[in-house]
Amino acid sequence: MNQLFHIVVCASVVPDPLQTLEPVTGANGPSLKNEMMLPAILDPWAAHALYEGANLARQIAGSKLWLVSLAPKAKLQQVMMTAAQKVPLQLVAVDGPCGGFVDAHQTAALLAAAIRKIPELDFSRLLLFGGWESASRSAGVTLQLIGEELGIVDQFQGVDAIKPQDDGSFEVLERIEGARHQVSVCTGPPAVLGWATGSLGEPRNDPQVGMANMRSIMPALQRATAGTIAPDGLQYSNVAAPKQQRQTQIVKDKPADEIAREIVQWITQE
Amino acid sequence: MDTILFLAHTEADGTLGKAALEALGAAVELKQPINGTLVAAIFGAQAKAAADFIASCGAQRFLTVEGDEFSQPRYATDAAACEALIRAAGATIVIAAATSRTSRVLAGVAHRVQGCVDTHVTSIAAVSGTITVTRWFYRQRIEGSLTRSHRPWILLLDPGAHAAWQGAAGSATTETVEVPLPDALRRTTVRSVVTPPADQQTIRPDANLLFVAGAGWTKKQKDGQTHVPEAETIILDFLRNSKASLGGSKSLVDLSGENQAALPFMGHLNQVGQTGASPRHPKGLSTCCHGEEPHTVGWRFIAERRAINLDPNCGWARGKADVLYVADAFEVMTKVNELLAAK
Amino acid sequence: MSTTEQPAIERASIDVDIACVGFGPATGGFLTTLSRKLMNDDGTPAIESKVMPGMPLQVICYERADDIGFGVSGVVTRARGIRGSFPELDPAQIPMAAPVLSEKVVYLLDPIGASRRSLALRIGDKFLRSLNRTLKVAHDAVELPYTPEFLHKKDGLVLSIGQFNQWVGTQLMSSGTVQVWPGTPVGEALIDDGKVLGVRLLDQGVDRSGAPETGFTPGMDIRAALTVIGDGPVGAVGRDIDRRIGTPPGNEVREWAVGMKFVIEMRPDIDLAPGTVVHTFGFPEPEIFGFFYVHPGNVASVGIFVPSWFDCPTRTAYRYLQHYIQHPYLWRYLEGGTQRSWGAKSLQESGKRGEPFLAGDGYARIGESSGSTNVLTGSGVDEAWTTGVQLAEGVLELLQAGKPFTRENLAQAYEARRRASWVEKEARVAEKSRDGFQRGVVTGMMGMALTAFSNGRLSLGIHPSKPCEKLATPADFYRGKLMPEEIEAIRRESDMHGSSLHDALMDRCGWPPIPHDGTLLVSHQDVLLMGGKVQAPAGYADHVIFQDIEVCGRCGNRLCVEMCSGQAITRSLEGAPNFDREKCVFCGACMWNCPETVGGQPNLQFKAGAGGLHSAEN
Repeated sequence: MNQLFHIVVCASVVPDPLQTLEPVTGANGPSLKNEMMLPAILDPWAAHALYEGANLARQIAGSKLWLVSLAPKAKLQQVMMTAAQKVPLQLVAVDGPCGGFVDAHQTAALLAAAIRKIPELDFSRLLLFGGWESASRSAGVTLQLIGEELGIVDQFQGVDAIKPQDDGSFEVLERIEGARHQVSVCTGPPAVLGWATGSLGEPRNDPQVGMANMRSIMPALQRATAGTIAPDGLQYSNVAAPKQQRQTQIVKDKPADEIAREIVQWITQE
Repeated sequence: MDTILFLAHTEADGTLGKAALEALGAAVELKQPINGTLVAAIFGAQAKAAADFIASCGAQRFLTVEGDEFSQPRYATDAAACEALIRAAGATIVIAAATSRTSRVLAGVAHRVQGCVDTHVTSIAAVSGTITVTRWFYRQRIEGSLTRSHRPWILLLDPGAHAAWQGAAGSATTETVEVPLPDALRRTTVRSVVTPPADQQTIRPDANLLFVAGAGWTKKQKDGQTHVPEAETIILDFLRNSKASLGGSKSLVDLSGENQAALPFMGHLNQVGQTGASPRHPKGLSTCCHGEEPHTVGWRFIAERRAINLDPNCGWARGKADVLYVADAFEVMTKVNELLAAK
Repeated sequence: MSTTEQPAIERASIDVDIACVGFGPATGGFLTTLSRKLMNDDGTPAIESKVMPGMPLQVICYERADDIGFGVSGVVTRARGIRGSFPELDPAQIPMAAPVLSEKVVYLLDPIGASRRSLALRIGDKFLRSLNRTLKVAHDAVELPYTPEFLHKKDGLVLSIGQFNQWVGTQLMSSGTVQVWPGTPVGEALIDDGKVLGVRLLDQGVDRSGAPETGFTPGMDIRAALTVIGDGPVGAVGRDIDRRIGTPPGNEVREWAVGMKFVIEMRPDIDLAPGTVVHTFGFPEPEIFGFFYVHPGNVASVGIFVPSWFDCPTRTAYRYLQHYIQHPYLWRYLEGGTQRSWGAKSLQESGKRGEPFLAGDGYARIGESSGSTNVLTGSGVDEAWTTGVQLAEGVLELLQAGKPFTRENLAQAYEARRRASWVEKEARVAEKSRDGFQRGVVTGMMGMALTAFSNGRLSLGIHPSKPCEKLATPADFYRGKLMPEEIEAIRRESDMHGSSLHDALMDRCGWPPIPHDGTLLVSHQDVLLMGGKVQAPAGYADHVIFQDIEVCGRCGNRLCVEMCSGQAITRSLEGAPNFDREKCVFCGACMWNCPETVGGQPNLQFKAGAGGLHSAEN
């Protein structure tokens, strides 16, 4: 008999990946130009974690799933319009900054505090999910920090699969160097799993799921607590989009044979 | 005065990996301009032998954590070992290579030692005596330089970002740091490592060439038809002949996840860029990749770049590749395969 | 109950009170007005749901685009209706919004000599240039000494419709009383015996032909007592209803335009005041009107309208837009700028003449597809918003009175309100104002002036042709510039290379090549990603379908290929063109430009689909 899980997914809100990102430096340090105007999405790897979490919760009766997110409320509202149609969830919202230059340690502390306050959460059943890196800070540290804040010493990063076993333990597949996977077995929750892409595609939009979710999401957004983050001995001296411009030689009207010869010569020379 | 700790784990064979030696190179280089002290700390199987290998690096002390329990890459024991080593060294700056093993634990360790952490670091330098770190944000799309007054400060250096330390092996005087191991730290057991079968192995981190297959391979060609099986043959033949590593753009990988007509051998692990890997290879050849710059930021660490694309004005190849061949990748790559096979 | 087909598959369904299709200004106005009256101050429902007794009214809006901020419009608006809804509106709250500060109408001369100008126009241009001193002909342009009253947008706003929609959506979400779901395309209406019972969402998990694949999820039926159609001028559901329920006798959309725009960040040394508004005509072709609006932050929206009465056999927009921004009058501001966004949409230019039934049993139409655009003043957003407000007021009246959403009740509560309002009054004045353009740009402008100054009492009395009836043959259009055999040779070459005909024709007519710079002037392919950030989710069927490929094979024009705003439709060697839905921006111009019909419908079917632009700045 599998044991049921209380799955908490931490997911940030990041700019829609096709947007042009341009850093600007203001009084409070660097941020993205027009940050509030950029369309946002649920962080891609964290979204995979959410889908995997929902799948696991569905498979094991009695399991529960929360989505905990720290972002400006307006952005969260916007992202929930899409994300809430994907899987059944309960939202725990923290209203605060979510840009890539915001300190991870303080972000983690706010998120851990929000998780501690979830009334029905049974810590002994907790699987803390998230992306192994965000598309904003892209450091791969926040989730570990939350785990530590909560005192969880079994942590996995780059996770592509979790397989609950009959004895209450679970097997985890983590990405390691050379396109390999490390297989570990953990005796049971609590544990932290930072997800890579997993194996599930993005779920279809489901209006029924959306309607049901919204009943709890709207009040959660209205209840969102404000979180403030101040710089702590961190100073940015320069932030820029890399401007590496190459002189591209454009080869037109050359027969395929000739191009092929040129390419072969290029790839075979040391 | 800062105490720099070079922190590394041994590989499965007991040696120090290339990435670790690169981190050591960075640590050694930083010592002099900040007038710091260098300490080396190694955990994992055969840590003593690894310390001997870097005996001449100039470290004042060599600390190790050894034992079977520390040979497996596991968060609980690795974090305990790293914490103990940092405390034993009195480290204020910790430099480690960003391997999967260190990346799994060092943020957590930073929390335990009330420190701070930066990852995806590409350079560590002393600017007017102040340690300044350059690292990526937004998945390699923004680069930032920063300083921190907080200590200890843990830095994970991206592989390939610094020259590897080179020096003579010797006999290091090591101090073994004892790490208590309550049962709570042994709830996880590493069972195995799964490697894809050789014939399905398309990711070759040490390859000379990264071959990026863009979404164009699966789209309708001039005749109004898709040619996916043909694309599959061409790409696999090329990988076999050239021993290149295969990278894909996001959309191509996503297509495969959606069961569309896509390349069956292309999975999420092949993905480079935005939500994928940013591999480092001396050369890169991108094909049918139009318009996926945010996803193929993985290009960033490719030294020589060429692209085959039908659009001469392709803004993503222009200024980003060294050579853009305006041609049909199906045609060109077929010829390339013929030439490679004849060699 | 009828749908367009009778599938054997089982579909889930949900019941709501009100279902809205499309989230634009009209639905924004509707939901804003409605949402304010749904709850009491003590948190109890002011109006109880019929489908969920005890709960507040269940109001849901489905939007095709992946975010509510992905709309397109080059907007300067008098914002009468919008300000009516937000009397305390501070434009600074809305990103990219600014009060209108100054307005100019500018005639652009052709600095290149490649545009197709009639002899009269050429003589006129020469004359204008000779009056250089008196008229201040500078930068190859003449600023008209005054802006006609009907074009004025005084007290109005310059907006980004994407940011405006996003702002409205945020207010709605904060209210917690209505739900807006982007990324959820509606396929068609559920109609039974002339009554609209709700909508059916698009099937997911299908291949490009619509056949189920792994993860097949049949589109859900959303049953609603009232369905509000605000899906824009080329919206699939509005057209579905027109086709199946019919349209008022004599009403038809015959006039269209493609509007295409850039959002450009200007060089730091450019210091134009936000709220600066410039309307242009004369270049890149006399038939193409343009606009230049300045937003806060040194950002400008710059775009053109390519109308259906332009007899050009290619009617391309992107290349023209690139030449437009390089006109010396604009280029002095835009040179060295950075492209932030790009987008395109169709405009319903028939206005009131294209009005469908505004309400029927179980449904009501609002916004541009309901014929609300004022074709004289070129204003659509404010009118659309106001029709939404009017419907909401009517709906609240019916709900409070406990009356059902029948045709009669909606006619009384909504239609009557609209007919009595400024939207209707001004639309009547505007109705025939554009007829003169059927005979060319000069006649058109005279007609507009005549209508405007006579307050709609006078017009030129020319009945508009359908878009395809206005098409010239390439030989006719390029007479004097290119020989027919030259055109044929260019066409053959384009066919062979699968490249566009219009580029080659324009090159040959003396339009200079575009000096691509990688930041502002970029290839059409690049603009899709750099500017429009166009994408489409997997698992949906193609939404552009060529009914009879033999008809396509015989089509000489292939206008669908040439005018496609996103290069999503491309030439194939034989049969139907290729369609790449990942490049489609849903401008819908292919639908009204297709000259061939099969079974009374355009051979090119533009259906409901998913994806599109991902820029929120248009």
